[in-house]
Amino acid sequence: MFGLMTGQKIDRIPVSPFAMGYAAKVCGFSIGDFYANAKVNFRSQLMAADMHGYDSSPMYGYASIGAWEFGGKIGFPYEVGHGAPYVIEHPVETPEDVDRLEIPDPSRAGSNPISMEVAKQCNALGLPAVFQVGGFITFAGNIMEPARMLLWMIRKPELVHKVISKVLAFQKLTADWYIDTFGPEKCMVFSGGATESNKLISAKQFETFTLPNEIAINKYVLDKGIHSVLMHPCADQNANIPHYRKIREECGWRGRYVWNFGPETPLEKQIEMFGAHDIIGGNVDPPSFQTKSFDEVIMLCKDNIERGMKNPSGYILMPGCELPPLTPPINVHAMMTAARKFGSFE
Amino acid sequence: MNEEILNGLADAVIAGDVEKAEKCAKDSISADMDAYTSIMEGCAKGMNVVSKKYECGETYVPEILCSAEAMNAAMDILKPHLKADATAVPKKIVLGVTKGDVHEIGKNLVKLMLEAAGFKVIDLGKDVPTEKFVAAVKEEDADICALSALMTTSMIFMPDVIREVKRVKPSIVTMVGGGPLSAATAETYGADGYAKDASVAVKVAKDLVRSV
Repeated sequence: MFGLMTGQKIDRIPVSPFAMGYAAKVCGFSIGDFYANAKVNFRSQLMAADMHGYDSSPMYGYASIGAWEFGGKIGFPYEVGHGAPYVIEHPVETPEDVDRLEIPDPSRAGSNPISMEVAKQCNALGLPAVFQVGGFITFAGNIMEPARMLLWMIRKPELVHKVISKVLAFQKLTADWYIDTFGPEKCMVFSGGATESNKLISAKQFETFTLPNEIAINKYVLDKGIHSVLMHPCADQNANIPHYRKIREECGWRGRYVWNFGPETPLEKQIEMFGAHDIIGGNVDPPSFQTKSFDEVIMLCKDNIERGMKNPSGYILMPGCELPPLTPPINVHAMMTAARKFGSFE
Repeated sequence: MNEEILNGLADAVIAGDVEKAEKCAKDSISADMDAYTSIMEGCAKGMNVVSKKYECGETYVPEILCSAEAMNAAMDILKPHLKADATAVPKKIVLGVTKGDVHEIGKNLVKLMLEAAGFKVIDLGKDVPTEKFVAAVKEEDADICALSALMTTSMIFMPDVIREVKRVKPSIVTMVGGGPLSAATAETYGADGYAKDASVAVKVAKDLVRSV
């Protein structure tokens, strides 16, 4: 994957299964420890990649980001049925809480110290130090409780804007912390979230509440010298795609971007919008890895590879979101088999 | 006059206008209108329009939540005036998010749509273990058991719930929905129905009840 992102010659398409909870389980760790313990997080991702031979490097992140960082509480996924950290207490419950919300110190905020520890271990092996920014609606929803935030987008929009502006300030401080620690050339940004989905909000609401902030944080990290960005517009964000393109246009198409949309977004649409400059990352239907057979997964990957390899700026075989933690290992092998068989450049 | 009030109620729900919804509800009481008719021909009619607009991608969850506020405000005024014998016995639905899963926006939308359509919903909330579904179905003598999940780690409990509720009440019908589900997975799990999202949940529930 590093070869593709740095423009080197590669012998097959890279495979990045977005394996988080799966990595823990396949290595015999609990998913709770995966998110609560940096060593388990790093080691299991490295071991799973080595076992299967896939190309992604370890990173820390989860969809409930924001609540703990701004003073709320999360639970780690130790129970059967849990797949990722979840919010127990949102820091904003009343309009008054919005004014009281302080921008946290990034070095001590919530999961940031764990994420930094994982990044340090990556950096020691020459792998990118990944940190999470963007996804402002998701981030703010975790701070305010998603339904409350969605209601306030109409009833009290000024409060949603206020929280998001604090999120932007916090994300800039987080970016500075990583850049100061590793240097911008060693960092990689992960940006994404599911509450931006058009199952929840309209493209207009995306434009109003998040687009200016997405442009601001992307410009900020690019201006600081960061080159690599993984964008994960989670779930159905088809109506938001023109706005994502606007982010790239406003940033002058600088940097090396990978787009990993949900399975609802056709690869052809992604190639049309971003293909002249950016890498497209897969988007095979994630639940299929858990529920379908080896042969069926091979065929799903084959279809994705054949369509994705038409992207002039490169393609990575990925699921359209995190690999289900309960995926049978043979279906990760199916990804690798499909990549070797249908994604070879030799 | 009555039609004007009913249309006003429906419009208020569609627009998410709480003040107007309350005024129309009070007007209907003052005009001695039947409260059940006001709920069904006013509030529910408005919510059905909202549901259809959501299905077509013409409205989104923030607007639906405002409509829910307006509908609830009107219902609070109308409910005390319901006559005991005014309605047929509504079909009962036990609804919940399966164990390990705390995502409930989708489930809450389903609840809203079902209630607007006249179902009695017993909402068990989120992170609900199998035993709790079984106990609720038994205790409430429910007609439908509806399960929601947003995670692949929590949807795996659906077959257990379906099997166990059918064991205590063989005639119960089951339906499932949520992001990682598909019609094929629902069938594998033994569910009688599958709703891809809240906008179609009412139709699926009505079809299932009719088929029994």
